[in-house]
Order: sequence, then structure tokens, then C-alpha cells
Amino acid sequence: MSDFHGWRGQRLRLDMTNLTYEIEKLPMAYMKKWVGGRGMNTDVVYHESWAGMDPLDPQAPLCFGSGALAGTFAPLSGRTTVTAVSPMTSSVMGMDVHGHGDTNMGGAFGPAMKYAGYDQIIVKGKAKKPTWVYIYDDKVEFRDASHLWGLGSKKTTIKIVEELNDPDIRISCIGPAGENLVRFACVINNMSASGGRTGMGCVMGSKNLKAIAVGGTKPITCADPDKFKKQAWDLRDRIHTSPSAIRRRAEGSMDLFDVGNAIGINAYKNAFAGYMPRIEEVYGGMQWAEQFLFRRKGCWSCPVSCGRYTLIKEGKWAGYHCGGPEMESNCNLGCRIASYDLAGVNVLCGMANDLGLDSISAGAALSWTMECFEKGYITEEDTGGIRLEWADIEGSIKVLNMIAKREGYGDILAEGNVRVANKLGKGLDCVPHCRGLEHISVDPRITMGFSLGYAMSTRGSDHLKNYSCLEFPGCARSRAYQIDEIFGPEGAKKFWEDFPKEMTELDTKPVLCTWSEKNKCVADLVSCCCQAIGSWGGAGSWKEAYYPLFKLITGTDMTEDDLFKVAERVINTERAVWLRNGSGIQDDTHVDRFFDEGVVDGPYKGKTIDREKWAWAQQEYYKCHGWDELGFITPEKATELDIPEIIPDMEKGKEICVKWLKSDAKPTTPVFIPEAVRK
Amino acid sequence: MALKEEKVLVIDPDKCTGCHSCEMACSIQHFGKCHSHYSRIRIQEFREVNTFIAVTCQACENAPCIKVCPMNARIRLESGAVVTNEEKCIGCRACIYACPFGAPVINPDTGKTMSCDLCMDDEIGPWCVKACTLQQAIKFVNAQDAARAKGRDMARIIAEDYMPPQQEESEFAFSFSVD
Repeated sequence: MSDFHGWRGQRLRLDMTNLTYEIEKLPMAYMKKWVGGRGMNTDVVYHESWAGMDPLDPQAPLCFGSGALAGTFAPLSGRTTVTAVSPMTSSVMGMDVHGHGDTNMGGAFGPAMKYAGYDQIIVKGKAKKPTWVYIYDDKVEFRDASHLWGLGSKKTTIKIVEELNDPDIRISCIGPAGENLVRFACVINNMSASGGRTGMGCVMGSKNLKAIAVGGTKPITCADPDKFKKQAWDLRDRIHTSPSAIRRRAEGSMDLFDVGNAIGINAYKNAFAGYMPRIEEVYGGMQWAEQFLFRRKGCWSCPVSCGRYTLIKEGKWAGYHCGGPEMESNCNLGCRIASYDLAGVNVLCGMANDLGLDSISAGAALSWTMECFEKGYITEEDTGGIRLEWADIEGSIKVLNMIAKREGYGDILAEGNVRVANKLGKGLDCVPHCRGLEHISVDPRITMGFSLGYAMSTRGSDHLKNYSCLEFPGCARSRAYQIDEIFGPEGAKKFWEDFPKEMTELDTKPVLCTWSEKNKCVADLVSCCCQAIGSWGGAGSWKEAYYPLFKLITGTDMTEDDLFKVAERVINTERAVWLRNGSGIQDDTHVDRFFDEGVVDGPYKGKTIDREKWAWAQQEYYKCHGWDELGFITPEKATELDIPEIIPDMEKGKEICVKWLKSDAKPTTPVFIPEAVRK
Repeated sequence: MALKEEKVLVIDPDKCTGCHSCEMACSIQHFGKCHSHYSRIRIQEFREVNTFIAVTCQACENAPCIKVCPMNARIRLESGAVVTNEEKCIGCRACIYACPFGAPVINPDTGKTMSCDLCMDDEIGPWCVKACTLQQAIKFVNAQDAARAKGRDMARIIAEDYMPPQQEESEFAFSFSVD
């Protein structure tokens, strides 16, 4: 028996070039340094890739990581992190600058990895022909996937289950989009739990790896089962009685639509409009459920089960059923393209899952085309005869298929919006993005915590790296004790003085974001869902919800501070992947339009981001992290976090950064870079 | 004959989301470790149509497993649960093939069979039921109520044809609030 509880203490390395594998034992010191899931993945991606690496290089590592709580009785413990250098993202310095990319998916893949005996699976190399990998305990088989090539994620999963005759097997696969190296292809597990962002499916496709199927027989032991049981029940009880969790169960993540539109933050019309009229009447969770809910769908060990399964009962698409959607899919393939046809939008979501496309970037590609047509930036000549108008579902279906198969205009869109705009030389100002990744459905001009989070996120624009929900008045009110903890007595006093106006101001946000991103990171480290410690009250923060469970299952002597330190180390290492390529302050920003053009409608009509405030917030945020004025990790910080090996990389990166800032090179899309920095 | 006061597990497949919380609860309650193979309740997945069926011992009145066991190791407890006496069990698995549900499972450590003991006298009651608090796909109810609840659900569907059209709530409130 191994010395590990909760953890497995070993990882599996797959070499796709030679079709061999290696099981690597991990020492306890390593587990304590990186903890698991996102942490271990980050370590591998930083240390086994290099500055300037092509993300599709055969030697680029692709990691699937799960944490200590995955596959246990701990609630919400079904998450898996997939990490690699991202082919989707880029810097304003150029398209060939790539950085850290990761994505966190639900489903049951991580737990299955743990049952097979692995904390992590690392894939390197490139198979000569399409291959899928079957892992069962210590047995690893590389199987021919030519009969699966070209199939959607749903069919692939069904075929593999049939082939293995094992209904309990867990499968992560790519759809046609990943095979065809669409830059925003996603990894899908359990039919519809997708690891969408940053193009991890593209990396998987570049290795000719169609699917990984995992199962195993090894139970996960606890260091202190009796106390662990009690603690897990305690957290479950808190979730069972949390009103937000109860609502999330009933409505799915679509419960956020009416909250969102009340403050006018939803991504309407290519995410630049900011407020969609009547959205809650059409898209609201209960309205959706009444029309389309076939059954809920739960990730592993999740009592809430916010996943949905759609059945369209009437109309043109009657009889169509698929997994999903969740709020982001509906918003980005619906509101973003200005459609009120919910059935049609659900079909788009189902298709995106089946084709293996990130629904956010796919929606962004469609809506960019639509806005450019509206403004007359592009014509049918650019698109090979395709014309997309707002709310055109039929056209969108056609284009989604073309993207996944890289046909015609789809081949252009498959590169991701920033690259498309640069290639065509048109519509550069119509790309709402940070670091080449398009914004999600929250407008960055209103809730400034999310806004700062997008820009500072280590994977490009994203709310889930920096889940600063405490900026929302409801969350702050119900968790005042967390405000005290984050800001201290003085800061908290100031916070409440400005309350609830502080939501739309940057003043408190550098501090809040620095805390929130570590809070979220702990959830990823132990493979639990961030919702319980983010948007819902009741469960508390990482400290009340996940640390006790983590300690009891592993029996580790790590203190709360130690775990929080690991979170900081992980965030710094992820950022270092960017920094060593020279991407610092010039990318920690938004596109010009959000500074110049006000929100079109809604309660915050006319609001923009203030440039001066933004420049201040950038510097404050760096100070909170102990970074220098260009956002680079200082040698002292690196030493403090026990990652001194990044120091030479930081020096080289800073040289590139300074050289670019001093040159008169134009950014790839118009973004705000404070003038003081460019001189 | 007096009404039976035993409590039984009632499963509602329509509410099951396939989260496997019940399996995790069962395995950690009995073994202190987590794996579906150590759970006495098993979720059978039909993933392609998002349908999940929880299979567990139904504690049949006329239980074939008790009859078929050559060692008389399948016994009924006072709570009504039918379990395997591991001391007598020889691991022949006859109870599995006699069971119309395939409900008994094999204990991976001993090779003997095991089935739901309703968590004996644990103060929480059956752990799988509590783990399903939000979804209500497994309930623990009086044997008589099990039939009544299901019957009422079916009756409601039929009754809808015989009901008057529903009144708007606001209309209703108005007609009674006038003094």
C-alpha cells in the first residue's frame, strides 16, 4: 500500500510518438509543493516547455490533473484541469507569442483517473496515425482510432463504451474541431462536460490523440475517515441548505441571467452592447427548464447537479436532445449573436459540444462576423459568399460546421478572432479580448473586479481565474466576514462606505482580485468546484469549505497558510509562462473600445473604464502580488515562493518586454497601454 | 393484518442526475474509503440518453436470494433489510443470479456478497438518502407510503383531465380581498 491518502502519489506519462508509457512515482515533498490538479499541471507545463515553444510542437506537454479530493465523498469533487501551452492565446506583441492555457472541466474523468491510480496524466509526442488510449489500473493500451476519426464527441464516447463493453469507463475526447486543429477546440468528457477554453482540444488533436478512456479499481483512502466523513457531511449540509445552491439546482447556471441583466452585464451583440432587452423573460432558468429540461445532469459527487440535458419538444428541431447548455453557452451562442430563439440556440450549444468547439470562442467568431457585416467592415468577398446577420441561427449552424471542418470561411474563423481580424486586416476593433482569448458573457465596463480579473488572468480573458464574486452586493452582504478577512478592519470600513457603488469602481479591486484568484486556485488544486466558494454563500471560502477536507483526507501537516502559498506559487508560475515570452503589462489590459465606448443600454448606460484609474489599478495589483512595475515576478518573490529557477527566464522576458514597449510597434489590436509605460 | 411499519428505499429514476453521491456515501460509510465498487447501491448509466437507474437491494418480501443461498447466509434483519452474513457466506454468488435486479454486489476485499443494510442504526439513516437530499431520487419512507406516493403521482396526471382550468392567483386574491 502506498503512503498516500487522498493523493495517489504517481502519474502516468504517455509518449504518443513511440506508443510507450511510464508510471512515475512522486515524492511527498513534490505533492506538498504543487498539491495536485492545476498545481501539478502548471509545474509540468512550465518546466517541460520553453520560451517561444510552438503549442503544437510534438514535445509540448498536455496534462490532465486531478486533486486530492477528486473521486471522494467530498461534495463537488468531480473537476479535472487540463493544461498546456495554449494555441489559442496570443500577445498584443504578435500572434506567435503563446502563454499558459488551461481549462477546468466537470464530469467524472478526474475521479476515474484517481481510481486507476494516477493524480495526473501527461501526454507528449505525436502518434503517426489516429490513436486512442485505454487505461485501466496499471494496464495502458494504445488503440487505433481510425474508425473514430471524424466522429462527434457523443458518438466517439458511445463507440468506445461499446468497444470496451464497460459502461463505467470515463472518456475524454475531441470532436472533429480538435482533429482539424481549430484553435479553440475543446476536450469533452462524459458527453457534454467540456474543457472549453484556450484550445486544449487543439493540442490533443495535434498529438493525433482522439480519446483517453480511464477506469480503475483502486479505492481512495482517507487519513482520518471518521473526521473526514463528519466534515464532508458538514459541507454537504451547508450546500443542501444554501438558497443559491437550491436555486442553481432548479435553474442551472441560467439562474444568473436575471441577476446579470439587472445590472446590465450580459454579452449582447458581440459583447460590446452590454444589455439585452427582455433577456430574463427568454433566457431565465425557469423559462428554459419549462421548455427544454429533460433531466438534470450531475458531475461526480455533486449534490447540486447544475448540469442540464436538453430535449426540444416542439418546433423545427423537435426531438433533438443533447447535453447542456449552461449559462455561458447560452449567452455566447445566443445573446451574443442577438438571438431570442432559444430552441435554435440550444441546438447550437449541442452542436458545439458534439463538434468539440469552445462555445464561448465559437459564439465570439459568429458575432464578430455579424458585427463586421453590420458595420460594413467585411463583405461576402471576404467570407466566400457567406453572409451572417444578427440572430441568424441557420447561418450559424452552417458556419459552426464549417469551422469544425475548416472549410471555406470556417477555415479562417477557426484561427480565433484576433488572428482572423489581423489576417483580413479588418474589424480589429470588434474583438473583445485579453491575450487573444475572447471575453465571456460579463461586460468588463461595469463590474470592475471581473474586469481586472479578465486582464490579469493567467490564461487570457476569463472570469474563472479570478472569481471575485464578492464585488456583487448580494454576495458581499451575506459574507461580510470574508470582507473583513480580505481587507482588514480599515479596508473593510472603506469598502462598506462605498458600498454598493464599489462594484463599479476599481478602488478595492486589486486587493479583492488578489485574494479571489487564490481562493479559486485552491478549489482547482483539490479538484473541487469553485461555485460553492465563489458565487454561493453558505459554504464559506476555501478556508471553511475545502481546506479541512483536504487536511483530513491527506493527513498532511500543511497549514492553511501553506496551502494558500501553494495557490500563489501556482498563479505565479502560470504567469511566468507568459512573462518569459515578454508578455507583461502590455497584455494586462482591455481593448480601446471598452475605454471609449459606453454601455449601450441598461442601468449603467454609458459607463466606460477610466484610463487613469485603470493604470493605477494595474500598478496596485502588481504591488499586491509583489511584482515590479511591468508586472514581472521579482527575484525576491520567486525565491520566497521557492521557484528560483524562473529568475533567469524573467530577466530575459523583461528584456523582450522593454524592447517592445520602447519600440513603436503597434499592438495587434487597439488596446490601452498607459503612456508612461511606453516611454 | 396490521400495516407494515418497516421503512423502505424508494427510487425515482426521473430525478437521478448520475452524480454518484450515493455510491460515495455508501462506500465511505461502510469502508471508510471511496470507490463505486465498495458501494452497495450502484448507478447504472445510460449516458447517451442521460438516464440513470440506481440499483440496490429492494429487500423483497419473498426474497429469492434467501431461498437460493446454500449456506443460509442471506438473512433478514429486524429493519427488514436483507444482508449477507459474511461469516457463513462462501462467495458462490448464487444470490446475484437469483436476484431479479442483480442487486447484491461483491465485496472487492473478501469476494463475498454484500447488499444494502439501510446503514443499520446510524443516526443519519441511510447515507445514500441523505446524500440525495437535493435531488430526492432516493427516499426512505414507510412501506405503505411508498405505494401511495407513486400512486398519487400517477393519479395527478389522470386527474388533470378532470380538473377545472386553473385560476390566476392574483384573480383569486382579488375576489377575496374586497371587503
